[in-house]
Amino acid sequence: MGTMGLALPWKARISSLPRERGTRVEPSEPFAGGASPAAVDAQSEDAALAARCRSGDLRAYERLYTMHGARMKNLARNVLGNTVDAEDAVQETFLKVQRSVASFRGQSSFVTWTYRILINTCYDARRSRRRKKEVASDDSEETRRPEPRAPGAHPSLRMALERALAKLTRHQRDVFLLYEVEGFRHAEIAGMLEMTETASKNTLFQAKKNLRQMLEPPRSSGAETR
Amino acid sequence: MTMNATCSDRERIFEDGAPAEWEALEAHAASCPLCAEEVRAWKSLSAAAEELRDYSDSPSLWPRIERALAEEAARNAQRGEVWNWFSHLPKLSLGWQIALAGTFALMLAISGGWIYIHRPVGPADNDKSLLRSSALKEVESAETVYERAIDKLAAEAKPQLENPATPLLANYHEKLLVLDSAIADLRVQAGLNPSNAQLRYQLLAVYQEKQRTLEEVLEAKP
Repeated sequence: MGTMGLALPWKARISSLPRERGTRVEPSEPFAGGASPAAVDAQSEDAALAARCRSGDLRAYERLYTMHGARMKNLARNVLGNTVDAEDAVQETFLKVQRSVASFRGQSSFVTWTYRILINTCYDARRSRRRKKEVASDDSEETRRPEPRAPGAHPSLRMALERALAKLTRHQRDVFLLYEVEGFRHAEIAGMLEMTETASKNTLFQAKKNLRQMLEPPRSSGAETR
Repeated sequence: MTMNATCSDRERIFEDGAPAEWEALEAHAASCPLCAEEVRAWKSLSAAAEELRDYSDSPSLWPRIERALAEEAARNAQRGEVWNWFSHLPKLSLGWQIALAGTFALMLAISGGWIYIHRPVGPADNDKSLLRSSALKEVESAETVYERAIDKLAAEAKPQLENPATPLLANYHEKLLVLDSAIADLRVQAGLNPSNAQLRYQLLAVYQEKQRTLEEVLEAKP
């Protein structure tokens, strides 16, 4: 009893850093916030950004990149496993937004729609990469090349988490990355992944249960003896 | 009023707990080692997820995207010049767009029909024309055969017909005069419209009748 945080197979542990419930990362916050002034501002900015992109204003795309580029690249890297593919996916996403912004009808927020395109682009890239590997008779089906990333507090934990995430279903992985890593709300994730908000919550719950099972040592390993 | 939570509420709160329910669960966990361990492990996953967050800057990415967007926009502009005529369509309501599309489809159908009806004679039509020509040749050769046969029969029957010895021969003579008159009329009309199959077949039928009549005249020799 009393073990703090996850006990990993190689004895690395992290302290449990209780994350404030509801501290979602901007700018997803306002969209689920009802009719607060901040939410109204964000919605109108989102609509204005969509309108400017539709009119072909490259500065609007730059604004979109400034607001979301880093997060888009991070999400793409966590899905694709490396920075080069992630940057290609982000670029392809911007081009797809430019090509189809005229057909954007505003059923979801412009940003949510952009992330939906990004996620689909990432999975298209994964499929394409897998086909190329099959053609090249590569021995591994989904090997992720380790690459230098910004140093985290627990690199071994990150690697373990990446391996565990790769074993989740696509939806579980997506919801976990969008909620826990990128800080989106379930309402936004539902829009991005075209599922209900309840399904998003349930999928996250299943994802975390599975990750716990994969990351935690067996209970008989002496946790009770401390 | 404070909310209470028990061990049995734990998973439900993990899945979809309101902030007040989380507070109640944490209050319960203070006195429940099992729930305390579960809550800590659950929150550890969220903390671990932060390891996957790397928002480091890529200075070359935006210039690359911007260049790609500009190139795409230039290509679209070029395409736009070609399709400029249709540029007003998106401004129309869906109803008008459907009506326009329907009108366009109708015009296409009418034009297609007109072209089909007034199509130039193709290879298939040439074949039909050859068939008609060959049929005409057959008719003309049949007419020639009849004419020759009739001329021979007429030459043989001429004495009897010029001086008919019996009322029957006189009737044959009159019938032949009527047939000659019909042949003359039909030949004039066939000359004006040689491809008219109906006229040619009528002419052949009259020739046939004249031949049969002349044969009957010769058989009716007294």
